[in-house]
Amino acid sequence: MNYETIVIGAGLAGMMAALGRAERGERVMVLAKGHGSTHWAAGCLDLFAEADDPLGAINQLVQTRPAHPYALAGVAALEQALARVRGVAEAVGYPLVGNAGRNLLMPTALGALRPTAFVPATMVNGEARQLGDGRPTLIAGLHELRDFFPPLIAANLRAQGYAAEGVYLELPPVERAHDFSPVVVARLFERPAFRAALGRQLAALVRKGGYARIGLPAVLGLYNAVEVVRELQALSGALIFEIPTLPTSVPGMRLFHAFEQALTKAGARLQIGGWVLRGEGSNPHLHAVFSEAAAREQRHLARRWVLATGGVMGGGLRAEHTGVVNETALGLPVRTPSGRSDWFQARFLDEAGHPIFRAGIAVDAQLRPLDAADQIVYTNVAVVGSALADFDPIREGCLEGVALATGFAAGQL
Amino acid sequence: MDHIELSLTQSLDHCIKCNICTSACPVAAVTDAFPGPKYVGPQAQRFRHEGQPVPDASVDYCSGCRVCNQVCPTGVKIAELNARARAQIVAERGLPLRNWLVARAGLVGRMSCGPHAPLLNFGLRLTPARWAVEKVIGIHRKAPLPASSTYTFRAWFRKHRAPTTARRQVAFFHGCATNFYEPHVGKAAIAVLEHNGFEVLLPKQQCCGLPLISNGDFKAATSAHEANVQALVSYARQGIPIVGTSTSCTLTLKEEAPEILALHSEDVQIVAAGTYDIFEFLRSLAERGELKTDFRPIERHLPYHQPCQYRAHRLGSPAMDVLSLIPGLVLEESHAECCGIAGTYGLKQEKYQIGMDVGAKLFDMVKRSGSDLALCDSETCRWQITHATGVASKHPIEILAEAYGLEL
Amino acid sequence: MRTIETDVLVIGGGATGTGCARDLAMRGIRTILVEKGDLTHGTTGRYHGLLHSGGRYVTKDPQSATECARENVVLRKIMPHCLEDTSGFFVTTPWDDPAYGDVFVKNCRLTGVPVQELSVQAMLRREPLLNPQISRVFEVMDGSADSFLATRSTALSAEEYGAQIWTYHHVVDLVREGDRVTGAVVEDLRNGERIGILCACVLNAAGAWAGKIAAMAGVTVTVLPGKGTMVAMNHRMVNTVVNRCKLPDDGDIIVPIHTVAVIGTTDVHVPDPDVYGIEPDEIQFMLAEGDKLIPGFSQYRALRAWAGVRPLYKDRDVANDRDIPRTFKLLDHAERDGVEGMLSIVGGKWTTYRLMAEESVDALAKRLGNTRPCRTAEEPLPLPPTEHQTTFRPPVRTTGPGASVAAEVEALQHAPLYWLGKHLSEVEHEQSFADLICECEMASRSRVLAAIDAGAKNLDDIRRDVRMGMGPCQGGWCIYRTTALLFERRGEDGLSHANSNDALLHFLQARWKGLVPVLWGDQLRQARLDELIYVGVLGADRLRPIAEQGGGLVTDNPAVATEYVKA
Repeated sequence: MNYETIVIGAGLAGMMAALGRAERGERVMVLAKGHGSTHWAAGCLDLFAEADDPLGAINQLVQTRPAHPYALAGVAALEQALARVRGVAEAVGYPLVGNAGRNLLMPTALGALRPTAFVPATMVNGEARQLGDGRPTLIAGLHELRDFFPPLIAANLRAQGYAAEGVYLELPPVERAHDFSPVVVARLFERPAFRAALGRQLAALVRKGGYARIGLPAVLGLYNAVEVVRELQALSGALIFEIPTLPTSVPGMRLFHAFEQALTKAGARLQIGGWVLRGEGSNPHLHAVFSEAAAREQRHLARRWVLATGGVMGGGLRAEHTGVVNETALGLPVRTPSGRSDWFQARFLDEAGHPIFRAGIAVDAQLRPLDAADQIVYTNVAVVGSALADFDPIREGCLEGVALATGFAAGQL
Repeated sequence: MDHIELSLTQSLDHCIKCNICTSACPVAAVTDAFPGPKYVGPQAQRFRHEGQPVPDASVDYCSGCRVCNQVCPTGVKIAELNARARAQIVAERGLPLRNWLVARAGLVGRMSCGPHAPLLNFGLRLTPARWAVEKVIGIHRKAPLPASSTYTFRAWFRKHRAPTTARRQVAFFHGCATNFYEPHVGKAAIAVLEHNGFEVLLPKQQCCGLPLISNGDFKAATSAHEANVQALVSYARQGIPIVGTSTSCTLTLKEEAPEILALHSEDVQIVAAGTYDIFEFLRSLAERGELKTDFRPIERHLPYHQPCQYRAHRLGSPAMDVLSLIPGLVLEESHAECCGIAGTYGLKQEKYQIGMDVGAKLFDMVKRSGSDLALCDSETCRWQITHATGVASKHPIEILAEAYGLEL
Repeated sequence: MRTIETDVLVIGGGATGTGCARDLAMRGIRTILVEKGDLTHGTTGRYHGLLHSGGRYVTKDPQSATECARENVVLRKIMPHCLEDTSGFFVTTPWDDPAYGDVFVKNCRLTGVPVQELSVQAMLRREPLLNPQISRVFEVMDGSADSFLATRSTALSAEEYGAQIWTYHHVVDLVREGDRVTGAVVEDLRNGERIGILCACVLNAAGAWAGKIAAMAGVTVTVLPGKGTMVAMNHRMVNTVVNRCKLPDDGDIIVPIHTVAVIGTTDVHVPDPDVYGIEPDEIQFMLAEGDKLIPGFSQYRALRAWAGVRPLYKDRDVANDRDIPRTFKLLDHAERDGVEGMLSIVGGKWTTYRLMAEESVDALAKRLGNTRPCRTAEEPLPLPPTEHQTTFRPPVRTTGPGASVAAEVEALQHAPLYWLGKHLSEVEHEQSFADLICECEMASRSRVLAAIDAGAKNLDDIRRDVRMGMGPCQGGWCIYRTTALLFERRGEDGLSHANSNDALLHFLQARWKGLVPVLWGDQLRQARLDELIYVGVLGADRLRPIAEQGGGLVTDNPAVATEYVKA
């Protein structure tokens, strides 16, 4: 079937681009190997971590680092993208709250405080400036959930000056005995009896300890988390907030789900499980891509393409032991730090980040891929998100911001 | 060991432990008898050692729906690893009679199909009979067993008179279900293909072997596949497409049998490369502008479930693509992972409820649609949908035939 | 300074020192063992895990070959739970001298190393991934050994017999009075306390560090630290130890141990056992050598790389370190240097650790007037609490040169031999899937807690006990979980959140060091996901201001910061 635009990759960048094009009335398909970065990250929107005012910092950054994806997409694209993504989330009853001009400080499952610009409404009550109002916070979990440990979270919060205590709740009777992954527990929270039983336990703890807030693992339902939070607040008499846990990320799955709904509504198609192996084009046009399928490849045709396959983590880039880094879908030229010996810092958590993770595709102002001589490889391809060169989405704390801004830009070009 | 085999057995190396498969797994979602694809797949695989006792138990609860493969971002062939691990359990601990029986769709079909079918069907609808079947062979008393047809598809085809205007040929792989239980699906397919100018050939064939694979009987599955390859390879060599209406049969010919059973001969590969699901085939005609579009409008809003086995072809939604050409017809996609039957999985006494729970999302969707008809490409899924919702179900090819106004 | 008295002070908590402590204690000799890190912190914990058949030494080092062949059988009897009966092949690849095969067989016979030739077809049936161009195959009694578990079990036995095992105790100085060593001053690295130990004799079993210890008594012992680098691959491509049939060389052996296959090793002389790096070309060389044994080997996923230092004792001039005998030597410093009260046991290899202990303790006992015989070859080792008691016995090998020994070992009905499916089958049996803290290596909560309760001084100690963090994700999930469990379990014993945070940061870094040399492909992708988890989800980098060493943990103490540095 012929599409006007095919987007390769179903992370935030790809889905944002697809939504933009579908809403302009194009026939759009999202073609992705599988689920990806939405399901791993915390489910918040990081714009720029190392500044109280991320938008201000980004305004400066576009001046000083013209090759940074933010500079290519433009600050206006970022702002419009934020408005659009909030609309997408709002449409499924899952509002994202925050402010591009001021980072929130959110407690993590280690009890550290992590800056991010927008969080789902289910998390916002845990923001550090609120926690610091002098009233005690309870961090509560379940022993059965091996990805959330209230005592350590509470102790680390106390060490940073926030009154907090950690406690394990008793698992309400369920037919399950063995398996309590975050997603499994999220499904349990969709049962009224389950949350009622936990709500009663929380209410008793609040009566005894006078807690103003309760932090729970971010597993409070897959599809109706805002409702669950509201109900637990009513039952317990305290403000509830979610704290993200290890992958898979339930808040991330909710974001993915919100985009899935928006794309379906806009008439776009999603083909998950289609692994793009190669493209076919004659410079400067990409004509077709081929995805892996049973027994033979599937050919896809489109006028315009968006490459949103991610970086090393997403699988869009793959490094060989010889020191070569390949772009996996279309074989585009990759900008890579010289030899393998320069790829890494000696310290894992070195503030500067590891140079290899700044590898990526160089693009022009319209996000079209460039070769080593800065010539456009394909005029009908836009590259978005973490596949782009010259930035480190995790260390700069701009994973979602860049994905949304560049994805939005590609949706409007 | 060839590269196809290596790409399967070594694919566990791609796992980055991210849990995406487990989060999407419809079976792990409803029962903790199954700890999820990551655990039984790439994780457990590192602890397996051919020639040593089988350490596994829970992998038997994998339904083989392949949702894990679909969502895995790194390309681990989880479902295939699981199928092989299950076969090791069977090799060591033997195959229960029930699994032997449900794995032999063709044999059971042959025994029950024919003029005596109504009587047999009536008998199997009786509660005491089903109770006995559950006790003796472990097929759940409520599980959706198909009603046998009074005639076989092949018998009908022998008498069928084809139009003489055909320009091109296709070979039809009907599978057991069409032959013994639902000849009307085959008739619709023949009508659509002939309407589009094809002469339909009917090769000799037997069960594709998928039920044998999913019950771990690799020996029997291998001989089934080898026989089919022998029967089909001459068609494929002549460039005559092999087209089937059962998505799981075509997937088995294309991929499951060669990969899971490690059959990689040239003939096997030629048959695989020459096999198409019917809507995949029709879509490719449409893409080339060769599909007839003389459709009558069908003013209906119908729920459509793309079976997990169809998604496992990794082709998108060919039936949706083709049916979208019919004026007036609006399809609502189920977006459900699986109906829960997964071939023979949901028939088993200990897995029936799991299957029903897996399918709950789909059943809800079908019921909420208010439609009296649901569309689905796979026979066992259709039976499961109808069993769970009371809503009648059809293969999309039947709607296409109707849109062409073809007499069946 | 507190001073205590004992008969023998053993220095070094590797296989040899721990084996000595057990033997001493079993003979009723009062013993204290000090180790500056965790047990196996030195070379024992950094080797490929081969239980030698002796085959590697039949030509160059026949004495060592014979010792290995004998001890191989003894160890199967006393520590079955630490050993896997993998069997081993010596294979002639197109790159190897075809004439060496006959020399090899002849020398096996001369040294008492059981060997059997088998056909290439039979080899490929058992190991289908091996190079089909291999021309000859010889089967020997190689196995794989969990050297952490073996040493833990040995230490537990020593303690049951009254020995004291002091890990994280660093020897600050040896006390020498005239011509006599009378004891040592050690520092407890957990709190900086110094303790004097008076003893009748010091047994220097510090391996690659033996020269440094001897120097404290003014005695020269030349131990050449020979660095050996190894790479663990993500899964076992072979279930049999595979050696090239040639004189021992770099990258010529693949050992399947637990869930991984280890290729080893290089041999590079380094000036100091505490300072060495892993060079990228060492890794590339070994992967290329691996391709010769298993075509495509270099394309498989490498998990991590590490290096250990062989304690090669040099008592005469040899040109090549590979030519230094692998056998061991007991040095009586009274005879050799005129210094009483100290013996050094140097050289040797893991497989012969018990024999080394027996000979050392025979000499010591004689000096102390103790006439009780050595019983370490007969009495089986106890199981540490991190090991589940399991009744399932894997099938006994019935073919090849190890068959008769296998039957003999089985007849003893000691603990069952280790087998690859052991942990999976236990988890399946207990349905403890959701209680796995380290999912890759299937370390359940109860086993991790047992390791914590057994006195772990940091997360690395727990890793050695239950393999936490040793699988594909290298701790992506389990470092977080284990840190929190450590805090919950020890919080009341003075371990604070800050100490826990420090333990987490320390272990993340320890994992990183072994990852860097092999980061490409899937493992690089994994490392990036782990970075997202620890930076982008957990904000671990933001814990630094509230991380602090202490609470009974030892993390970045310079005395044990022996982790190699990047060259």
